[in-house]
Amino acid sequence: MTAGKIAIVGAGPSGCFLAQSLLKAAPELEVDLIDRLPVPYGLVRYGVAADHQGTKGVARQFARIFERQGAQFHGNITLGQEVTLEALQTAYDAVVLAAGLMQDRALEIPGGDLPGIHGAGAITRALYDHPDATPLPDLGPRPLIVGNGNVAIDLLRLLAKQPEELEGSDLGPVATGWLRQNGVEEITITGRSPAAQAKFDTVMIKELSKLSGVTIHVEGAGSSEDAAEAKKIEAVLALHGHATGPRRVTFRFGLTPLAVEGDERVTAMRFQTTAGEETLPCTSVLTAIGFCADGVLPRDTLLAGAQDAEAGVLAPGLYATGWFRRGPRGTIPENRADAQALATRILAELTPDPDKPGRVILSDLDARVDYSGWTRIDAHEIATAPDDRCRAKIASREEMLRLAREEEKTK
Amino acid sequence: MKITILYGTETGNAEMLAEDIQAELEGDHEVDCLNLSDMGAGDFDPSRFYLLVCSTYGDGELPASAQPFAEAVEAEKPDLSAIKFAIFGLGDSEYDETFNFGPKTLAELLQAQGATQVGERIAHDASGPDMAEDLAFPWAEAVVAEAAELIGEDA
Ligand SMILES: Cc1cc2nc3c(=O)[nH]c(=O)nc-3n(C[C@H](O)[C@H](O)[C@H](O)COP(=O)(O)OP(=O)(O)OC[C@H]3O[C@@H](n4cnc5c(N)ncnc54)[C@H](O)[C@@H]3O)c2cc1C
Ligand SMILES: Cc1cc2nc3c(=O)[nH]c(=O)nc-3n(C[C@H](O)[C@H](O)[C@H](O)COP(=O)(O)O)c2cc1C
Repeated sequence: MTAGKIAIVGAGPSGCFLAQSLLKAAPELEVDLIDRLPVPYGLVRYGVAADHQGTKGVARQFARIFERQGAQFHGNITLGQEVTLEALQTAYDAVVLAAGLMQDRALEIPGGDLPGIHGAGAITRALYDHPDATPLPDLGPRPLIVGNGNVAIDLLRLLAKQPEELEGSDLGPVATGWLRQNGVEEITITGRSPAAQAKFDTVMIKELSKLSGVTIHVEGAGSSEDAAEAKKIEAVLALHGHATGPRRVTFRFGLTPLAVEGDERVTAMRFQTTAGEETLPCTSVLTAIGFCADGVLPRDTLLAGAQDAEAGVLAPGLYATGWFRRGPRGTIPENRADAQALATRILAELTPDPDKPGRVILSDLDARVDYSGWTRIDAHEIATAPDDRCRAKIASREEMLRLAREEEKTK
Repeated sequence: MKITILYGTETGNAEMLAEDIQAELEGDHEVDCLNLSDMGAGDFDPSRFYLLVCSTYGDGELPASAQPFAEAVEAEKPDLSAIKFAIFGLGDSEYDETFNFGPKTLAELLQAQGATQVGERIAHDASGPDMAEDLAFPWAEAVVAEAAELIGEDA
């Protein structure tokens, strides 16, 4: 019997959990994970906060997929550039799009494109040494964060931390220097909903009570009869008056963005509140209001024509999972559940064709970095970590490629 | 000895560890490995020794795969007085106020139905320097030896 051949585009948590499930159920499958970066694990490496190393522990499971379950990594290959979707569909029995959503959703209000407005994705990529990141911007003394999800809280926490609170993280020297010297005096964080319905998790809020250099104010947290909502409000209110240092943090709720003000760059943001309009002066705006597709793949068209979008079936033999399918919602566990369900569906539908060439169409690509290339990068990053860091991430693609390949030659 | 490893997990770390423990013990024992989501409150067998591996999620809560089991035990209140178990926790000391609350909850739940815990409740810390299996293998060996005296080697 021929083993089925499956290509998964995107080696983030969704793609990895999918490969894990597929190979657990059917170890003989040929499962290939393709990623545009020379390194795997997607937002586990470039989204999950540098000071939340425990959460990154899932990467140990993902390493097993390559080391013991027989999946192959094909890094530094972008679908739509080095390889086309058609080529993959021709070569594999099934193709799965698990490419995530990378672009920051724009603030679609007047002034929403003024200089001084930065998306959380762009900032976190720069903080976490993503090879395609743009340089860290000057925020001025009073940045304002728009959004009340966990990503907004990550940003707030990192901006608020003192250098010694980042010990044990994998935050690199550029980001560390930027955080130390950015001159932030006051951070305001605004949410559209009341605190009761804010999207952040209660634990994320509780964590802020450990901050050692801030003075926190909470305005208008409201109240709720619902137990879970009340717990969330209680956690937010518990922060009010937390005073361990000079950097001010202000939480505001029920503020709907109307416009960003300023001539050449941001000077304030205007909101609608239940009590009328209100303008908050600020020196920069950080948006954490979700993500969308970067346009490299025709996501909208594929999803619109999907055979069964809920189950992740786009067309016969073509599937989608994770953020790429569901939109920018849900944490790592939800991607795991999503991927496990999709694995069952794929296995039920798979009809292996012995004439499909599979992975040979990728192995000859010059750009390709394999799993052993990544292990060399990984080992180097861990070996060169300074005492107060668990890893020294390599930020440049060239340097990653050099490490992945140069030692290959000397072997 | 007949051993059943039961895991409660949210992101799969406990599942991986449970499988590693199974592989480690398999040579000398008859070992099953089961997700707590597939375990009924009335499925316990006194001739087996139960090794639980469980993480903590959210704000000190049980991980998703352990929740239906915990609810079932609470609702059905099975008599577990003949059951022996040991429990290993996966947690993260970053969540210091609720460190390893999941396995604690689970152990207390089983004990409330009369089950006997063998050995200490050991915890792996995701923010610590150790690999989970480096703590779990010696633990498993020790509790299995202890249980063998209680249940009988060839049970
Ligand atoms: C800043 C931030 C912090 C977060 N923190 C947490 C947290 O603490 N805990 C938690 O549970 N969740 C967290 N999340 C959510 C979590 O990261 C997502 O749920 C998860 O990463 C989604 O997985 P995915 O595999 O669908 O997408 P991704 O992780 O984005 O993976 C997609 C992969 O596809 C690759 N790719 C994209 N386009 C192409 C292409 N054209 N060709 C080839 N490859 C491509 C990308 O390089 C990437 O590796 C966070 C998210 C963000 C943005
Ligand atoms: C959102 C979140 C909340 C967590 N809450 C706790 C907690 O309250 N107490 C604890 O000890 N560990 C907590 N942890 C750590 C996990 O238990 C740990 O990462 C474990 O390895 C996860 O195992 P699993 O993949 O089997 O669920 C939390 C982790 C995350 C990501």
